[in-house]
Amino acid sequence: MATFTCRDFQDHFESSEDGPRSASPRSLRVQAHLRDCPSCRNFVEDLGTIRAAATQLAVSDPEPPERIWSSLRAQLQQEGIIHEAPAKQSWFHEFFGFGLPRPVLAGGYLAVLLAIAFGLSGPINSRINRQRWLDGTQSSLTPLSAQLTSAEQASLLSLPASESPVAASLHKNLEIVDNYISLCENSVREEPENELAREYLYEAYQEKADLLAQLNER
Amino acid sequence: MNATLAAPLRFDWKTGLLAPGLLLITSSSVFAHNVEKHFKVEPRSVVTIHNPDGKVVVKAWTKAEVMVIASHTSDKVEVDVEQTGNRVDVMTHQISDTISPEDLRADYQINVPEDAELQIHDDSGEVSVANVLGDMNVETVGAGVDLEDAAGYLTVKTVGGSFQCIRCAGRLEVSSISGSFKLLNLRSYHVHAQTSKGNILFDGEFLPNGIYRLKNYSGVIEVHFSPGDSFDLSATSVKGRVNSQANLTPPAHARPVYSKFGNAILGTFNAGHAKVELSSFDGTINILKRD
Repeated sequence: MATFTCRDFQDHFESSEDGPRSASPRSLRVQAHLRDCPSCRNFVEDLGTIRAAATQLAVSDPEPPERIWSSLRAQLQQEGIIHEAPAKQSWFHEFFGFGLPRPVLAGGYLAVLLAIAFGLSGPINSRINRQRWLDGTQSSLTPLSAQLTSAEQASLLSLPASESPVAASLHKNLEIVDNYISLCENSVREEPENELAREYLYEAYQEKADLLAQLNER
Repeated sequence: MNATLAAPLRFDWKTGLLAPGLLLITSSSVFAHNVEKHFKVEPRSVVTIHNPDGKVVVKAWTKAEVMVIASHTSDKVEVDVEQTGNRVDVMTHQISDTISPEDLRADYQINVPEDAELQIHDDSGEVSVANVLGDMNVETVGAGVDLEDAAGYLTVKTVGGSFQCIRCAGRLEVSSISGSFKLLNLRSYHVHAQTSKGNILFDGEFLPNGIYRLKNYSGVIEVHFSPGDSFDLSATSVKGRVNSQANLTPPAHARPVYSKFGNAILGTFNAGHAKVELSSFDGTINILKRD
């Protein structure tokens, strides 16, 4: 019996209607090859992972507009990566839900699927990221803000009433810093993933802490 | 007749005695407190000055000596000047529990060797230092700070005071909340200037391998460059504008954060020997060709 190669596996893969796990003799050889060949096994596992992810994405997010599929198909056809679907539809066709006929170009499929997955997951990731940044920023800033507010109240209460220009200057600058903190907090709420806005906010807190320390020294 | 003559004469005599007496009393409370002290010092001496309010003028001279001339008008403060080893400490402190802000004022004129290290704390008033090449630390609340021909490691921190540095060299770190900065004819290899609500003007040299970081929340950051300068530029304003007259080569790898958030200009001017980082929250950044 001839050796069953990776090439044979690919041929079987593209022509099979029932997938690599059927009980036909050829499929048994395919399964034996899969056991022995890590490369082909990884390939099948990757496809399974993508399939699962695609299913999940389809459930959790609305279907992309038809024009995206049309545009994608037209682009792939134009580049010669895919051709019109054959009359006979393989399990692979059903597997991915639309007529891409040449699994021998698995790399191309993978790239396309990954691009789609990224396209679909973009808004989700973006939302998740924003929420994560917001949560992370709030969890680090809320205690800091509370401490500063408490320190400010203590400082102002303990300060003797003073009309000195120095005290007036410190109070005026404290207002300036408070104003910047407020602006930066708004900016961070609007764009929680904005590294620069967060950096400015942290520095404004630092400045406020410095000012309160100076007030306390008096 | 004699009486009439005598009366005015007696009156004038008393006035003649009273007037200088009154003047003496008045002048004793306004001009009486002048102090002048001299201290021999070794090279690299340290001079510390702590003054709540008033003018502090420090100048370098060629003598190996520190001279302190202090004057204050109130009896409720006094000036202490002491030498400990190679360090001279100058301090104004209050000697009365009830004191008005005006009573705290004391003015100083201090001469130091040019390699002296200075530590100055002056809440309000004015600080002026010229030709001192040693390290320097200046802290104020409202007092403005002027440095001329200074070098060494210069750190300046104000709350609301402005800062001006002319022909300074060495390393400069300056921060403020509402003070504006003018950095003119600088020859510093490291400049870090940060203010919240203030303008920053930089008109100096970009030395090879130098790092120049200017940052504010609002206000204008203005940087002047010459055609022969060489620097890598990163200018970002989160909410404001960035204007550049420099013809920059775009960077190979731009940090996405700069392009995604705010307005940014990144690139290399000539060979990019120095590093220039300008950033503002909602202020304007201008990078202008020097006239």
